Amino acid sequence: MDSKTYRIKEFFNPADQRSLIVDTSACLSLGPLPGLEIFKQDVKPILHLVDGVVTSPGQVQVLSGRTHKDAALLVRADWTNAMRGPEFVLPPDKIKHITLINASQALELGGSALVLYFLLGHEEQIEAGCLKMTVQLAIEGSQIGLPLIIDVQPIGERVVLQSKAVELGASYGLEGGADGIAVPWPGVESFKIIIKMAAGMPVWVKPRTIDNAQNEIDEALQLGATGLWLDEKVFAHPDAAGRIESLSSQIYPAITIKEGPQESL
Amino acid sequence: MGAGLQSRMDRLFNRHGDGRAVCVAADHGYMSDVTTNVVNLRTILDQVIQGGVDGVLLSPGQAVRLAPQFQGRDGPAMIVRADWMNMPRLGTSNVANAVPQRLLVHEKIVTATQALELGATAITIYLFLGYNDSIEAAGIDICARFAAECRQVGLPCIMEPLAYGGQVTGTNIVEILTLGARMCVELGADALKIPYTGDVKSFRRLVEMADVPVLVLGGARSEYERDALELFSEGLEARSSGCLMGRNVTKSPNPGRLIEQLCGIAHNGLSVDRALCTEEWDFIRLKAHPAKCTGCDLCVTACVASHDRGSYGTHLARLSITSASQSGGHKVMFCTLCKKCLEVCPTDALRWHPQTGAVELLVDNCTACGDCVDVCPTGVIFHSDSGIHTSSGEYLDWYPIVCDLCAGEPECTRVCPTGAIFIAERVELT
Repeated sequence: MDSKTYRIKEFFNPADQRSLIVDTSACLSLGPLPGLEIFKQDVKPILHLVDGVVTSPGQVQVLSGRTHKDAALLVRADWTNAMRGPEFVLPPDKIKHITLINASQALELGGSALVLYFLLGHEEQIEAGCLKMTVQLAIEGSQIGLPLIIDVQPIGERVVLQSKAVELGASYGLEGGADGIAVPWPGVESFKIIIKMAAGMPVWVKPRTIDNAQNEIDEALQLGATGLWLDEKVFAHPDAAGRIESLSSQIYPAITIKEGPQESL
Repeated sequence: MGAGLQSRMDRLFNRHGDGRAVCVAADHGYMSDVTTNVVNLRTILDQVIQGGVDGVLLSPGQAVRLAPQFQGRDGPAMIVRADWMNMPRLGTSNVANAVPQRLLVHEKIVTATQALELGATAITIYLFLGYNDSIEAAGIDICARFAAECRQVGLPCIMEPLAYGGQVTGTNIVEILTLGARMCVELGADALKIPYTGDVKSFRRLVEMADVPVLVLGGARSEYERDALELFSEGLEARSSGCLMGRNVTKSPNPGRLIEQLCGIAHNGLSVDRALCTEEWDFIRLKAHPAKCTGCDLCVTACVASHDRGSYGTHLARLSITSASQSGGHKVMFCTLCKKCLEVCPTDALRWHPQTGAVELLVDNCTACGDCVDVCPTGVIFHSDSGIHTSSGEYLDWYPIVCDLCAGEPECTRVCPTGAIFIAERVELT
């Protein structure tokens, strides 16, 4: 096993090779979000419920002291203001996207993988930049055995066909050298294409909503999804831990222990 | 030329010792929308490698992922796309695109050293001409930097001049491509990947003044494979060094067979017609061992039985056995594919059968002149017993009966008890 495969396995459930990831890194661009105001206090309780947590480079240290039952750390490698809407305190005048750390730095932080946004639907240079970052981080990561996960974000105003844009982002991620991709649920047909393109590479699905996602999660898993990729919105749920636990039970097949006949003493 | 550069140029252009390369561009997923050839890349790659492709152009990510398929001395050369552009997705009215692009963007993505570390035998980069001055200048800058990097690490730099944009018209495109080819060479290109200019004469001029190996690209996929083969064949006639074809191959129903056909043209000097028969081509030649022939005539009988059921006698057999007077042995007379009948026929009524390679009669062209019967040196073309109607309604009193090699499985060789007549070899027909 090479070191990249070794690290990928750190955020997979060894029992069934499925994976539940929670992305907390949106605070890097959006500040203290509901349910994530006090990062350590809010995130630590869910560490044992998921396989991986995506954090910004600065929050990695906050999650020290994890045990083997806790989630692996995936480090957000970039920053963008693309997630900010017009209502945000600093609405974006021009979309920006930059890398924050390279693969070696992520490895030094103890990351098991790098995570990078792939933004679609903005100016041409943003997309070109995403591709360049993907290729460069993938090459750097390959040299030191650190996987790169592409987080497809078809959120720009130029997106015409949402499902096709998700396919495009997945394709670009794979052609750029990603070791896994996280995609918004694009519907059955597009997801089939993505799974075929990925050819065995991990594909996480990001459900459209947290509360009514049962059908699309089931469909995605049946089609070959690796697992779920939840964003910061799950922390806004009144019972975030409970909701994550519930989703977790949905992606991991129930394990039942049959009771054998008890011997009479 | 440094040793590293020469070695990699040889890997790409001299796998067959002829200075030619049949390559496939499989980097579309890197720049265009998701299409079937993008989704099925791995399967397509398996097929083209099986077909004997000399090189494959991939994106950096796929180069990492698919590297094992390039391993070994017999593996194809890996060419890495070192830059990126969004041209296939340009046009706000292009509703087929998921995320249409408005402005052409062309970026350098990996360095030559990184490409080399990925296992590349060469890199490919674009030079856009005709869009606007800034894009052209940026392209020149990218090409110049790549050329310098490539020289340092001994990696062949294949430049791809593309005529695209408002300044390009139907009348100036050849001139722009010729300009681009020369500019690339002046910048330090080791080879070119370039669209065919449309005619042999202008393309030959481009190739000659480039004076580096030129690979012709296929452009949009044609419905007919013949078109791709003819374009390629004309490119070779214009002294190009091969092709770097994309969609014509990757979107073909049978990419492996198309590669075999292209390789047949490039490396074996086949004509397009001949190459199109790659799959079923089973040209055989009969030979005889007179000393083994006992004169039993079983071959003659089998020939008649298999072709002329119900006829009386062996006069229609496509071979004969004669007694050799001096030695007292026998001589087997059969079609040797000498081509004399094809050459003498005034109406092109005889040709090589495209699948079997035997002589085939096209009845509609035949005038029953008898020239083929007269010219056959082994005397195995005969008058038929009966006449035949052509499709135009004309009636021929007779027509020549020729050996069809039993569609590739000659009965005579099958029944001969001593092996006196046998299939000796496959034969290239011209």
